[in-house]
Amino acid sequence: METIEAAEQKPKSTPFLHSLFGAPPTPGEPVVQRYSRTVRVLHWVNAVAWVVLIVTGLFLFVPQFGDAAVGGLSRLFHRIGAVVMVGWALIYVVGDPRSTWAGIKDAFKWGKCDLGWLVAAIPYYFFGKEESTIRIRGFSRTIEMPPQHHMNTGQKLWWLFVLGGGALMIITGALMWFFKDLISPGAFMWSAFFHDIGFIILLVFAFVHVYLSVFHPKMRGIFWSMWGGTISAEYASSHHKKWYDDVTEKEGSEPTKDE
Amino acid sequence: MTNHWIDLRNADCIMVIGSNAAENHPISFRWVTAAKERGAKLVSVDPRFTRTSSKADLYAPIRSGTDITFIGGLIRYILNDMQSLTPAERAKKYNLTYATQYTNAALIVNDGFEGWNDSRHPGLFVGFSGNSGAAPGKLGAYDKSNWNYANTTNPNVDTALVNNTWTDWTDLNPNCVLRLLWENYKDLTPDMVEDVTGCPQDTFLQVCQTYAATGAPGKAGTIMYAMGTTQHTYGTQNIRGYAIMQLLLGNIGVAGGGINALRGTSNVQGSTDMCLLSHILPGYLAVVDHTDQTFDDYIARNRASKLPVNPSGLAGDKSASWWWLSDEAQNYKKYLVSLLKAWWMDHATAGNGFCFDYLPKVTKGHDYTHIGTFEAMAQGVIKGMMVWGQNPAVGGPDSQGERHAMDNLEWLMVADLFETETAAFWKRPDPESADPTKRVDSSQINTEVFLLPAACSYEKQGSISNSGRWAQWRYKAITPIGQAKADLAIMDELMLKVKEKYAGETGPLADPINKLHWDYYTSGDYANEADPNAVAFEIHGYYVADKSPVKNFVSLATDGSTCCGNWLYSGMFTTDGRNRAKDRDPVDASLNQIGLYSNWSWCWPINRRIIYNRASVDFDGQPWDSEHPVIQYNGGWAGDVPDGGWAPINLAAAGEKYLPFIMQPEGVAHIWGPGRAEGPFPVVYEPWESPLDKNLVTGVANSDPTGKGTPGFNNPCCYVGNLEGWNKRGTPSQFPYVGMTYRVSEHWQAGQMTRNHPWLNELQPEVFAELGPELAAEKGIRNGDKIRVATARGYVLGVAIVTKRFRRMTIGGKSVDHIGVPWHWGFTGRSSAFHSSGNILTPHVGDANTTIPEYKTFLCNIEKA
Amino acid sequence: MADKAILYDATKCTACRGCQVACKEWNDLPGELTTNRGTYENPPDLSANTWIKIRFTEVETTGDIRWLFTRRACMHCTDAACVEVCPTKALYHHEMGFVAYRRDLCSGCGYCVEACPFAVPKSGGNNLTGIRVANKCLFCEDRITNGEIPACVKTCPTGALVFGDRDDLVAEGRARVQSLKAEYPNAYLYGDTELGGLHVLYVLDDLPEVYGLPTNPKVPVAATAWQDVLQPIGWGLAGIAVVGLGLNYLIARRKVKVGSEEH
Repeated sequence: METIEAAEQKPKSTPFLHSLFGAPPTPGEPVVQRYSRTVRVLHWVNAVAWVVLIVTGLFLFVPQFGDAAVGGLSRLFHRIGAVVMVGWALIYVVGDPRSTWAGIKDAFKWGKCDLGWLVAAIPYYFFGKEESTIRIRGFSRTIEMPPQHHMNTGQKLWWLFVLGGGALMIITGALMWFFKDLISPGAFMWSAFFHDIGFIILLVFAFVHVYLSVFHPKMRGIFWSMWGGTISAEYASSHHKKWYDDVTEKEGSEPTKDE
Repeated sequence: MTNHWIDLRNADCIMVIGSNAAENHPISFRWVTAAKERGAKLVSVDPRFTRTSSKADLYAPIRSGTDITFIGGLIRYILNDMQSLTPAERAKKYNLTYATQYTNAALIVNDGFEGWNDSRHPGLFVGFSGNSGAAPGKLGAYDKSNWNYANTTNPNVDTALVNNTWTDWTDLNPNCVLRLLWENYKDLTPDMVEDVTGCPQDTFLQVCQTYAATGAPGKAGTIMYAMGTTQHTYGTQNIRGYAIMQLLLGNIGVAGGGINALRGTSNVQGSTDMCLLSHILPGYLAVVDHTDQTFDDYIARNRASKLPVNPSGLAGDKSASWWWLSDEAQNYKKYLVSLLKAWWMDHATAGNGFCFDYLPKVTKGHDYTHIGTFEAMAQGVIKGMMVWGQNPAVGGPDSQGERHAMDNLEWLMVADLFETETAAFWKRPDPESADPTKRVDSSQINTEVFLLPAACSYEKQGSISNSGRWAQWRYKAITPIGQAKADLAIMDELMLKVKEKYAGETGPLADPINKLHWDYYTSGDYANEADPNAVAFEIHGYYVADKSPVKNFVSLATDGSTCCGNWLYSGMFTTDGRNRAKDRDPVDASLNQIGLYSNWSWCWPINRRIIYNRASVDFDGQPWDSEHPVIQYNGGWAGDVPDGGWAPINLAAAGEKYLPFIMQPEGVAHIWGPGRAEGPFPVVYEPWESPLDKNLVTGVANSDPTGKGTPGFNNPCCYVGNLEGWNKRGTPSQFPYVGMTYRVSEHWQAGQMTRNHPWLNELQPEVFAELGPELAAEKGIRNGDKIRVATARGYVLGVAIVTKRFRRMTIGGKSVDHIGVPWHWGFTGRSSAFHSSGNILTPHVGDANTTIPEYKTFLCNIEKA
Repeated sequence: MADKAILYDATKCTACRGCQVACKEWNDLPGELTTNRGTYENPPDLSANTWIKIRFTEVETTGDIRWLFTRRACMHCTDAACVEVCPTKALYHHEMGFVAYRRDLCSGCGYCVEACPFAVPKSGGNNLTGIRVANKCLFCEDRITNGEIPACVKTCPTGALVFGDRDDLVAEGRARVQSLKAEYPNAYLYGDTELGGLHVLYVLDDLPEVYGLPTNPKVPVAATAWQDVLQPIGWGLAGIAVVGLGLNYLIARRKVKVGSEEH
């Protein structure tokens, strides 16, 4: 797989979309392949299912939206969304267990750069500072965002939330759906309760995810990597230095796996 | 019912015996509940703990078929109690005026009478002639010439009894009825009762005390009975037992008293009144038999048994004997002549004996009941059958045998709402196969079957007579669906067709049909269909000359000027032609509002809501129970229609002091009842199939357990069928458990109307068998298991209900278990999963007097299927 | 308007089950296909098509068998868990006090099914697709608002079911229990105080648990926690997230712009 290439096939986009999602790499600009087609399809199918689940979930969870749930169609779509999301992920897992394993491993592989990220995250993301200096009674320290791997720490965190939250949602959801008659009414009610907790957490982090990948000023344009699969070499080197170095150094060899 | 449903609320104690009223007469419990709220005690006597028992203050379990022992023990308790009290206490605790002067308790019986406990003929009364002289099918017969009063026209009374001056039994004439009664039951000690019935002694004694308390003047106890009483080889005697007890306690004719037959369907009362029985004509007139060669023969025969017999020594000196008050007031003849006029109208004249010869005649002694009919069918005598509102293939005893008997029919007509098992008998499960889904080979059955769609009760109008004898008119709610027709319309069409076939012919077969008065078309809906109103009017009766209604049966005449389809119902119309069965006045205008509701519908006779009500008052016409007065005399009668309008005994002139039981020749009620086939008092007999090898009371051994029966062990006069070999008899060694059949609330009789109803089917979907935990444990049967219950005659598959409501009993030192199977199910329609019918188990044997089948006790076995 | 109630006197009930059939008839509910499970009792439980049933219990005390019958149907609680959890307000308190139900508003969530301390509401429909609605006794709202009494009460032959003003029936029930106490010391009027007062009162001749009724029914914590606790938390967190992200956007955008200009 070629990792650096000219962006010949620019995503078809309009200025409106650019203003919404940020600009994709400009034609001719050096790009790095970031997400394979499989991953992108997986992501977008899941994203659609996610949206369906969130919307129908809101209908069911929020009494004020209850009227929308009357008739039971929202329950049907909620179930379809769940099946698509879980099923699609399972297909991926079964189809390419090695990549799955590698991806999961990445999320759990934390190093020094992750600690540095945590320290630098607030000034970096919240205030948009590349580096800042803390001075307390003569002690001064410059905080700088360390170079990141293919997944930066925030992405690892998100990934962990998705894995953990997903498991919670799948287990409690399945209890309510398939094992309703086997569990006690109390167990059902608590399943619903934790399903709701999972819902709230995942909903909030979904906001964060969308915000960071679409709107955050420091990451404008990253959205298109999940569309066309590439990012500009410049973005890669500035946001994922370690990964960028890896792929450019080991060009021709198997790059760090996507995901 | 001597009384009526609402009247149950006036009782102080209600004994439900041989009935499961809460389940099979659910509405009755409205009034039972009302009585309980007043403080009445409810006693349930039943082999199984039922929904009735669940509401009872006292539950007495008894082995199936031991009612006579239980009631006999109770009678003994009452008699011993009476005897042991001082005369003053006795008079306080019991209504002695009633017991000794309104019954034949004090009358003296013929010296030649010998009881069953005479060692010369154990278990049998004097005069048993064995099988010789017995009618076909009967185990044996009696020569009853010694079963009579010493003085047959003016029986004497025991004055010590009537005057309440006795203290010991020896103070009474040895042939006085009360003393004979005591002799009859003296062995039924509580020990013996427990040994025979299995009812714990202390429970039995509690029942005795509770029920005997209703003997006090002003107290009332009532008996609710049904098929658990009647459906035995000694069913009639079971009821006699209740009647005797009720008479001793002064409980007949009073509000809250009586013996109340809870009829099995809404109109059984009406059907018996209208003679859907083989031994009577409408209004309980005797059926004509082959000895009645002429009209006069018939009248003479019945006159002889209806002439007044006036006891001498009672306060009342006159018996009405209503049937034949005198040769001037020969009511029996009036009723028959008016009936013949209704049937053959202008053709019926004094000159031709009012067409008496047109009446079909039975062969005396021959059995024309359900059982006898199917015996004749099995023998090939009966070639065709019309089945109307019945399903004998499910409801008949030994139903595999009866279904088999139907193979002999050339044709069969069934009028019903659904295709019943009877209509489908030719595709019934093969009894030889262990697989109930395997059917008989119908190519071997040549019967032509006609299934006529009948209208259900909501699709037609007419009257129904409930258990309380209330004739209530019901209207048509909807038009019959499809081709269905009202029974009357079907019958009308059929009769007109028969008339058409006989048209132009003459002779003894054609004449009764050609000349039959058949004119029920009126106008409107009934311009071309028989009008039930016209039938009702004919039943009430009218003057032939101008068709104006008679007042009531008192207006009927012997000269042919009146016609009347059923004298008992004469009075249902007012003289201006209003059908009182349609009356709906919800106001209770009875004395003290005892619930007579006399203007709601109409009841026979002449709207008398409680019959024998002259027994509810003393010699001065004042009620024993001033709280619940049925009638009362204050210069004239107030309250219910009195049983004869004469003044009370003390206020009437000599020669007009009428005794209260006006239908009896003696004017008093029968404690001594010689009319029954097997004896004047009920005796303890074992069921035809008994778990015992010796009758614990009579001491007679079951000497021929595989034969027809042993007189003295079994009822000596019971009917034992054969059904061409299908009525096999099981022995306790092969079939150790006592089986019984019954109904459940949720289904109706043979089940077609309810089994095909999803809402009811949901409640009771399948055949089941109930048994106790001890037996279940021995047999390895768990609740809900599939089981097979078998008798010598066949088997039933179903689901086991293992319940503590069935308990193991110890009878004569032997463990006895009961197994109960409801009989509603069959092999057609819905809920026929097991293709089984409870009556496959029951034997083709019947009561000595009525041949009602023995559905309630038989021997069976059970195993896991 | 005065609260209405049904008084069920278990000591008068003969379990004829006319009420079960009358309910199906009036509400046009289909019969269920059942089997005999070794008991007279059927259907096995309340369902979307069975809103009332009589429970049969055999109890043996000191050798005496008792056969107890209990009415199973909506209790019409004052503190009704189903009303609390219902997201669409399909379940609500009628002005006559009972728990009315508008089936056309039901979303099929099934929370009432699980939350009810008496396990009364039942879902009907397809559990796989989730297209279903709950069902339960409607207190014959259509009948009682038109001057009739509930179908089950109408058909009851023994007077075990009575319909009327709740205050009257509470008084009647207390009097009945008082008179039963002479013979049955454990006699109890169930529903007098339970869950703020039920609109179906039970005269019992024994303790509620003998009749299979919960001694101290409660609205389950889990049933209300999601609405009482999680809803506000959810709204709060979502609000914080949106506001926080918006704020971040404004700040970060400014910095990024300034930064790029500095370059």
